[in-house]
Amino acid sequence: MLSNTYKNKRVVKLLALLALISGFVPFLAQAYTGVTVVVSAETPVNAEFVESFKEALASGKNGRLRVKVIDLQEVEKLVVAENSELVVALGVKALEAASKLKHTTPVLGVFTPLPTYNNLLVSSKRVLGNFSAIVLDQPYTRRMALIKTVLPDVKNLGILLGPTSSQDSELLKDIGEKNTLNILQENVTQEADLIPKLQKLLDSTDALMAIPDPLVYSRETAQPILLTSYRHQKPVFGYSQSYVRSGALAGVYSSTKQLAQQAAEIAIKSQLAPSLLPPPQTPKYFSVMVNYQVARSLNIQLEDEDVIYKKMLGLETVE
Amino acid sequence: MVNFRHPALLIWLLFVNSQLAIAEEAVADSAGEKNVWPLAVAAQSLTEDDYLGEVPKVLTVSRLSQSLADAASAVTVINRETIRASGIVDLPEIFRLVPGFYVGTNAGYVYNTNHTVSYHGMTTAYSGAMQVMINGRSVYSPLFGGVNWSELPLAIADIERIEITRGPNAASYGANSFFGVINIITQNPSDPAGSSVIATHGEERNEVFYRNAGKLNNLNYRVTAGYRQDGGLDNRNDFKRTRMLNAQADYQVNVKNGLEFEFGLADGARGEGNINEDNIVFLPRTKQIDNHYALMRWRHNVSDTSDFSLQAYHSYARSDDQTTSVNILPLLPAFAPFLAVDRLHIKNEVIQKRTDIEAQHTFSVGNNIRTVWGGSIRRDSMYAPYYLASKKTDYFDLQRLFGHVEWRPSEKLTFNTGAMVEHNDFTGTDISPRASINFKPNRNHTFRLGISSALRTPNYLEEKFQDRLLIPMTLPNPLGVNALVVQFRANKGNVNPEQIISRELGYMGKIGRLQLDVRAFSDRINDVIRFDGRTDFTTPVNTFLLNPLLDIEADSANNMGSAAVEGLEWQANWAFSNKTKLMFNHAYVHIRETQPDLKRNFVNSMPRNTISAMVTHRFDKNWDASIAYYQTSETTLLGDGDPVDLIRKCDVRLARRFNGRNWNGEVSAVVENLFNNHYQEFADYNTLERLARVNLRLDF
Repeated sequence: MLSNTYKNKRVVKLLALLALISGFVPFLAQAYTGVTVVVSAETPVNAEFVESFKEALASGKNGRLRVKVIDLQEVEKLVVAENSELVVALGVKALEAASKLKHTTPVLGVFTPLPTYNNLLVSSKRVLGNFSAIVLDQPYTRRMALIKTVLPDVKNLGILLGPTSSQDSELLKDIGEKNTLNILQENVTQEADLIPKLQKLLDSTDALMAIPDPLVYSRETAQPILLTSYRHQKPVFGYSQSYVRSGALAGVYSSTKQLAQQAAEIAIKSQLAPSLLPPPQTPKYFSVMVNYQVARSLNIQLEDEDVIYKKMLGLETVE
Repeated sequence: MVNFRHPALLIWLLFVNSQLAIAEEAVADSAGEKNVWPLAVAAQSLTEDDYLGEVPKVLTVSRLSQSLADAASAVTVINRETIRASGIVDLPEIFRLVPGFYVGTNAGYVYNTNHTVSYHGMTTAYSGAMQVMINGRSVYSPLFGGVNWSELPLAIADIERIEITRGPNAASYGANSFFGVINIITQNPSDPAGSSVIATHGEERNEVFYRNAGKLNNLNYRVTAGYRQDGGLDNRNDFKRTRMLNAQADYQVNVKNGLEFEFGLADGARGEGNINEDNIVFLPRTKQIDNHYALMRWRHNVSDTSDFSLQAYHSYARSDDQTTSVNILPLLPAFAPFLAVDRLHIKNEVIQKRTDIEAQHTFSVGNNIRTVWGGSIRRDSMYAPYYLASKKTDYFDLQRLFGHVEWRPSEKLTFNTGAMVEHNDFTGTDISPRASINFKPNRNHTFRLGISSALRTPNYLEEKFQDRLLIPMTLPNPLGVNALVVQFRANKGNVNPEQIISRELGYMGKIGRLQLDVRAFSDRINDVIRFDGRTDFTTPVNTFLLNPLLDIEADSANNMGSAAVEGLEWQANWAFSNKTKLMFNHAYVHIRETQPDLKRNFVNSMPRNTISAMVTHRFDKNWDASIAYYQTSETTLLGDGDPVDLIRKCDVRLARRFNGRNWNGEVSAVVENLFNNHYQEFADYNTLERLARVNLRLDF
């Protein structure tokens, strides 16, 4: 079994509370016959998701689910779908719109960061059983496994936390301990502190693990963070394909197809009990991406992505 | 300070402020359009775009440097921390911490008193055997060769790191990358954002710099302005007062394209003239200097494996030196009745300009081959009526084509090969090739075997100088002479470039906390350019040459003989702990002339042994200290240099940091030459003394 339970204590508490409340809500919904995919825009990624999702449903045993795609402009259609459909919302805006549907309509968010999902869960006052998500965040255990796999010598791992990611501070320390990594962290509360704190961190760590936070890691800060780390000759482990392409050493990510596969599995599994969606989960299937140019420049010798992936798969299975 | 370049500063501020307004509007617009949930949530939330959206490629193929283990030459990297710990206030001083380097304070007494920086000898006051670049812009001067360090519009505080290639690297940097290459890289414009004031006060030294850096939408910028006052050495008229302004900006147009801008100004006054050397004509005086430059670079990320850049820059350097001699009538009694003037007025204005355009394409093929190739065109112009004996501006054109390939057939082997073909107005078309092989038995050890060749183009001093004194005569005299001439240089021209063929064996290793870099080298220098007296030159018609009477030789540069430079140098970086670090350098350089009895030979133009070391220690969060030690054995330097004895120099620095709510500060004290109150460096006219100074830095 792949490790896909999310371990954030605060979220777990919140989820438990909400699950308790949801227990008192009578099940009104019936087995659904179709899935409505809500997209915020017609992008190639969304199109690829829909395509892969349909394929995955078709290959399922008892899956004969209709798939309908609507975009955000057609909000009125959402109302039509409300009672009998599973709504798969692609992206934050789509999930935000879907969260305003009748509370009995099961909604599954895809392409959504966990902190944003949590915010929407709270602000929409929905219950867990019919508001779930496959978040974009890879489990920290998996991310640290990658670090240990490619750089077994890393002892001190630096993390730079912002207002959003700082809630994971304790969790990161715990998981670090399990992976024999000493986590050194700096908290950034204002943009001006970013580089000074990063420099402080780089002086004492062997590598840096980037953790998504709007203040710390964004398109704008990618350049100073990656350049500063590179000047210190310290590798950065990214959280997305584009971050690795931009200049991180390596990262785990889930492809659109992999996320679609997981979404299809959830759709099939919960078809008969629409209000019992599984709890929000991290991506089940993943890929490894390595920036060999960066590795070479840092004089780090790395194996093929496939080899690294297989080693990591071995680790997750053992767990 | 206050009235310094008002218009430029104003334009900059206007530009910056208008960007700010645009940035604010943009934010307001997008908020109005995209506000799909309560603002409190929106402002703080991550979206799928943070994970799936495109991030501009930061470490592009061209930004990624070769790992030192793959590099074709020995490279020393001096970072900000080392610069800070060394406590230097003059940039060239830092090169004392590079193995094989010689640094001489205030060398020379013509044109400008300036630091001389050389590697492996042939040291003159203007050491022109090294290429020096700042962010890819060559600051090598074609006049005397070398760099006028004190005139660079560059603040030490803005430097991110300095990469020093020890050994010729003409294949990458072109001619004059002869003994080595110094590449100074400044900080990213907005790194770190905020304002700083840096002030230094000490004996013979006062400096203040202000810098402001920030980010406006996609524009990162930094502006640094400063004033530097250097009293110079005690017994010399070598003071320097410099005002400077430097601005850098980069603008990310979109994920694939970025633009970079640089702009700098430096001007001020310089003490000039050494009474011990010349008490008749070039007397102690004050001259004005004026420098500026502008650079623009377009970076285009073609693909994940390919980058293109196009840069253009223009630089301008003016030196306005006017001098009046003592009364010459008593000195030339025989001619006195016929002389038109009793004092000579010499106007020695020099204007150097450079325009350079360079295109470069970097790409990798598969995971094992990386290539960079490109070309450039340059025009240098030189207006120097006194030196060139012509009021015409002289032009020097240069065209280049270069290529370099790195091939890694396996993790253990790296081959580097490259060449540059260049054509210039002085020496025609030349080619400089190189090749090296790096063997890495494992990640911690690298052996390198390399051969490389480079050329040094003769500079104006060696190719075109015709400087002379003209003493006008009034009376129509029976000899038909209307002026007397004292000729200093009478270059024949057509000097061939000096050629170096360098062979080296290098080792780089990491043993626990110790990092070692060892280089054994054997260089052969052919067609060495030397000055030699000449009599077969002609002076203007109706003049009379005084040289024979005054026993002054007129010199012309020629290619004569060859020299061999051999030796061993090593650098050790040892981190005893996280708090205590040692850097140790030693070079043994042996120079031989292959042809005996040549005038001004090179044998002693480099100390046989140079040693430098620095220990840094951090006591706690706030206190740190460092001790630096420099030693050079006795040497006889060329071009304005004299025999000097063994030198031992020791500098200490103590610093304390302070932290406030919204500011950070550091106060440091430096004592230079702690144990040595009098010694001569470069020449006997340079006496260095113990100096102390205090430095304050405030970031807010």
